[in-house]
Formats: sequence, C-alpha cells, structure tokens
Amino acid sequence: MRPILLSGHERALTQVKYNSDGDIIFSVSKDHVVCAWFSHNGERLGTYHGHQGALWTVDVDPTSTLLATGGADNTMRLWEVKTGKLLKTWDFATSIKRVEFSPDGRQLLGVTEKRSGHLSTIVVYEINPDPETEQTNEQSLRIVCDESKATVAGFSYLAKWIIAGHEDGTISQFDAKTGELLYSTQAHEPDMQITDLQWAPDRTYFITASKDKTAKILATESLEVLKTFTADTPLNSAAITPVKDYVILGGGQAAMDVTTTSARQGKFEARFYHKVFMEEIGRVRGHFGPLNYVAVHPQGAGYCSGGEDGYVRVHHFDKPYFDFMYEVEREQANL
Amino acid sequence: QDLAKKNTANRQVVEARRRLLEEWQAWRESQIEMLKALGAEIELNGGRVLKEEDGAVEEVE
Repeated sequence: MRPILLSGHERALTQVKYNSDGDIIFSVSKDHVVCAWFSHNGERLGTYHGHQGALWTVDVDPTSTLLATGGADNTMRLWEVKTGKLLKTWDFATSIKRVEFSPDGRQLLGVTEKRSGHLSTIVVYEINPDPETEQTNEQSLRIVCDESKATVAGFSYLAKWIIAGHEDGTISQFDAKTGELLYSTQAHEPDMQITDLQWAPDRTYFITASKDKTAKILATESLEVLKTFTADTPLNSAAITPVKDYVILGGGQAAMDVTTTSARQGKFEARFYHKVFMEEIGRVRGHFGPLNYVAVHPQGAGYCSGGEDGYVRVHHFDKPYFDFMYEVEREQANL
Repeated sequence: QDLAKKNTANRQVVEARRRLLEEWQAWRESQIEMLKALGAEIELNGGRVLKEEDGAVEEVE
C-alpha cells in the first residue's frame, strides 16, 4: 500500500471527498482554497478560488457536475466542477460547518454554526442540476437546533430524513420534508461532540465519530446503535468501506491539547476495524498531526486522509487487503 | 487441561463471530429488500445515478 502524498495545501485539511466514480478527490483546508486531484496519480486537476476564510466542508453531487463548499467566511458556495466557475453564493450570519447533497443531488443542506444571538441551523435548498441555470435564494427548509448545536448532518436514503449529529453527543432524525424532529438518541457520551457522520453506500446505516474515542454504526430508520468501535484517542472521522466489511477511523490529539508534550502520544494513525466483529485489524501511519478526515473510494479501491499537517495521503488497497478474511467469513464464502 | 480450556475459548470466539455475521447479513438483506420495495435505485446502485446510456451495461467491479 504505497501512499500518494498530495501537497498543495498550506494549512490543515478539514474535509476530503471522492466523487461517485472515485477518479477525483476534492479537498478543503484552512488555507481558503478548494483543490481537485486525480485519485490514481495525485495530479492536481484544479483549484476553486473565492472563499475569504477557512474552509470546513465540501461535497460533490452524484453526477460530478456541481461542487458545494462552506466555511468561516459565512458563505455556502456552489461551483461547476468542470470549469471551476462560481455559480452561487449563499450568505449567512455564521460559518458553515457542513454541506451535503441528497442522494439524487437535487437538494443541498448546510449546517450553520452557533454564535451569540444565532442558534445553529440546518438549511436546505433545492438544486437545479443544470449549471447554466440560476439557483434559488429560497430555503426549502430551515431547522433550528435549540437543544444542542448540530455539528454534522446528511440526507438518508431517498432523502426521507435528515440525520444530524450534535455537540452534546446526540444523534437526531428529522423529517426531511417538514423539518419535524422525530427522534433523538444519546448515542455517544454526553457532551462529547459528534465530529463526523458518513453513510453506507445505500444509506440504510451510517457511522459516527466522536470525541468520546468511539465510532458507532447506527441504523438510519431506528437510530439503533448496531456497532461500537473503541479507540484510544478522540476521533475526528470515520468511514465505511464498500467491498470489504471494514471501517476506517481517524483522529488524534493535537500537540497543544496533549498535556504530556511528546508528539508520539498523538496517535496519528488511520485505524482499520472489522465492521461486523468490531475488532481492530490494522493501522496505517504517515501523518504527523491528527487525521481530520478519512474518505473511502466509493468502489472500495482505496482511501484518503486529510491531516492537520496539511497533507492528503491517498492509499490504494492491494491484494492482501482484499484477501484478508476471518475464518467464519471464509466458511460463509465457501458455502 | 490448559489446552482444553484454550480450545473451548477459541470455539466460543468463533461461535460469537459466526452469530454476529449471520445477524448482520440477515439485517442487511432486510434493508436491501426494503430499498427494492421503495424503488431506491440510486441507493441500490451504491450512490451512483444511473445514466441512460448505461441502462443495459453491467458494471464490473
């Protein structure tokens, strides 16, 4: 597994995403710039300029036509992937912590930060998939999170629900048409922030990462916790791999947050766990700062991680990764 | 006697894994059936939007 190092950002990475074909990686950073890279060789395809502050989030629509970004300049923006043209800017009172398209790309949600006088919200816009047309200013939905601010959110299968993770460790389920809060559960330790929420390919379940040093798989419909993965460091990100039943966790404590000064205590490794058995099966070193985000190739060919160190590391899985099987898995495969 | 104990422990671990795997697979099948009943094409295609031109093309992964 020889990694490719994507060096082009000047500050910490905040999110990395593959497009649905897995041939392009989009990365955002505190350096205000959005980058697009070819995943197979790490060549930079282009950059998207315009944001005036740190970027927190990026997503690409399922046809790789439109790109959405959000950041500390209190804007959410829509770009044409191919040309880099800025198509739309939506302005807010606070920064945008998360953006995500619906499965069909026809809706886009944004999570806004809480600040004195402003509660955290989840906003939704209808998106016209044609890059030539004007996009709407009208929010089709606005959910106010008055209990605990939302940190992450996304659309379920068929955009039936919006699932959000919160600062207080709860996960909530909203009706994606009406915005009604249907259900909320204390999935992670109280007052331990949910740092990431990533979907399984068919969105019937998802994985959450938390500062409580665990990642959990929950069923989308019931919000039942199905799996728990226990790490030894606060987690920033968790991803589900297709093809193989693994999950990848990333995190680590920044040196300034560690009371003991040794950088070795940071635990800056990507951790692989078996999704069904919940056992750790391997670690990948490389970053020299916390892993802020891990993303998996949608066809399961590899993964990439964005680090506090300013680098994106792209890994292509090799044969032993695909061959590895537990005895009971081999039994099943031979049936 | 130690060996017998170890074998029992191993058998229990394997049994537990087998149970977890069976439970997971049963749940996954129920979810896939549910998506099929709802006609969730994009979700069943792993998040990729089916294009008209690849309607008849089978994807090899």
